[in-house]
Amino acid sequence: MERGYWIRSKPVYTSLLWHEKATSHLVVAQSQGGMAVLKLFQLMHPKQAITVLYMPHAEADYSKTLIKVVPDGLQLLETEQEVLAKLDSVLHGMCMGMRLYIAGSEDFMWSVAKVANKFGIEDAGMMKELTGTLARPIYCVHCKATTHGVTTNIGECSGCGRMLFVRDHFSRKLGAYMGLMIDAESPGELPDIEEIYP
Amino acid sequence: MSMIDIKVAAVEQVTPLVKHFTFVKQDGSPFPAFSGGSHVVVSMNVAGRVHRNPYSLMGSPVDTGSYHISVRKQEQSRGGSVFMHESVEVGTSLQITYPVNLFSLAKKAHKHILIAGGIGITPFMSQLVDLNRLNSSFELHYAFRSPEHGAFATQLKTICNDKLHCYADSKGERLDLTALLSKQPLGTHVYVCGPNPMVVAVIETARNLGWPENHIHSEQFLSPGIGEPFKIQLAKSNIEVHVPAEMSMLEAIEAAGVEADYLCRGGVCGRCEVNVLESDGALLHHDHFLTDAEKASGKKIMPCVSRARCDRLVLDL
Repeated sequence: MERGYWIRSKPVYTSLLWHEKATSHLVVAQSQGGMAVLKLFQLMHPKQAITVLYMPHAEADYSKTLIKVVPDGLQLLETEQEVLAKLDSVLHGMCMGMRLYIAGSEDFMWSVAKVANKFGIEDAGMMKELTGTLARPIYCVHCKATTHGVTTNIGECSGCGRMLFVRDHFSRKLGAYMGLMIDAESPGELPDIEEIYP
Repeated sequence: MSMIDIKVAAVEQVTPLVKHFTFVKQDGSPFPAFSGGSHVVVSMNVAGRVHRNPYSLMGSPVDTGSYHISVRKQEQSRGGSVFMHESVEVGTSLQITYPVNLFSLAKKAHKHILIAGGIGITPFMSQLVDLNRLNSSFELHYAFRSPEHGAFATQLKTICNDKLHCYADSKGERLDLTALLSKQPLGTHVYVCGPNPMVVAVIETARNLGWPENHIHSEQFLSPGIGEPFKIQLAKSNIEVHVPAEMSMLEAIEAAGVEADYLCRGGVCGRCEVNVLESDGALLHHDHFLTDAEKASGKKIMPCVSRARCDRLVLDL
């Protein structure tokens, strides 16, 4: 990649920080994201209502500490589907003034964001912290399938099997980076495949 | 800037202070369609001096046969609103700009809370048409001095039914902003147009209740304030311009024959922003566009509403 070059669509993630004016807080985290949640509570335990949805993972499980730190409002969930279903039901009862905080992989965060979008929560209304991995969700522009957890510069599409070049161009609506067939002009001729999003 | 030649087709006294004007095009052709919340700048020749004031379009955005504006007669008018009230009648010819929207509805909103104070009702009149057409969820909260000053209240009742909430100050009716904004469903956007204290109160209340900035919308056209006269130097044109007490910098620049960019003429849009090359005194910023840091830097000014108190002010024009 050319030095100094930066695609504006690429999301910028920050460290989670409590929004001081929020009337309630909803924190959704996965795996290593548990550490981001602990860092939040290290800063302060806010007086407003708090809901924390956490999904431990084989790579990281902060459940035990979270149970101690967040005695009320913590819900532990096993799968992403469970997290998203719980999120959906929790959001139904919430009002403007609630602030949403998300921590985990890009795959996870943008799945959460899609559910939040359904409730009219826009990108600017969510705080996101990337944790654990740089693995990317990739949207195939040929078959429109999304392939999750791509760690290499070129990845195989889970939908059509094409080898896709992973671009930096990101769609907030799709929650994925753009993937383009790399060997369309000379089938089978592939550059070296390297892990660049470990 | 290209203008549309219009003539006044109807004038109606709506309240003791508000007149409603219907415009049609001079050549009888249709106007461009616009989106709810748009405004036009009306150009008037008042005793040899050109006044250009922004007014919200309040008719239906899909009605291209005529445009509608309402003008409140300002107590401290620089001449524009008094001219509209006293000198404009059916048949008067005027020029207007093409519509511009600086107060559009958020397309992704799940619900819209519209808050109007007095003449601030006008941009909502066209937005209501859009909201009804899209079958959007909304509430209109309309505050005015007393029932006789509640312009278009009857008409609004027909358009909004139970979504309209009126508050007459004379009857002691008050809009409780905290109560209103603390129990709104996710995805709600709030819009306010009215006098400055009301706009500030809505923005502050929403912020203090944790609303994200991009869910808070406001429009407030300022009229250029009357101030001390001063002089400016235009570097590119190489001339000196005198800005009289009751003329804005932009008007004085235009009167001197220098073409300057503008859109809203009310300190909102940012189009007339100009670089300050040199100044030896205080810039009196009145706009809602520049950030506090930009205002403090003294490097930029919005000539449509801002003034200066200095002996030397050089602008990059």
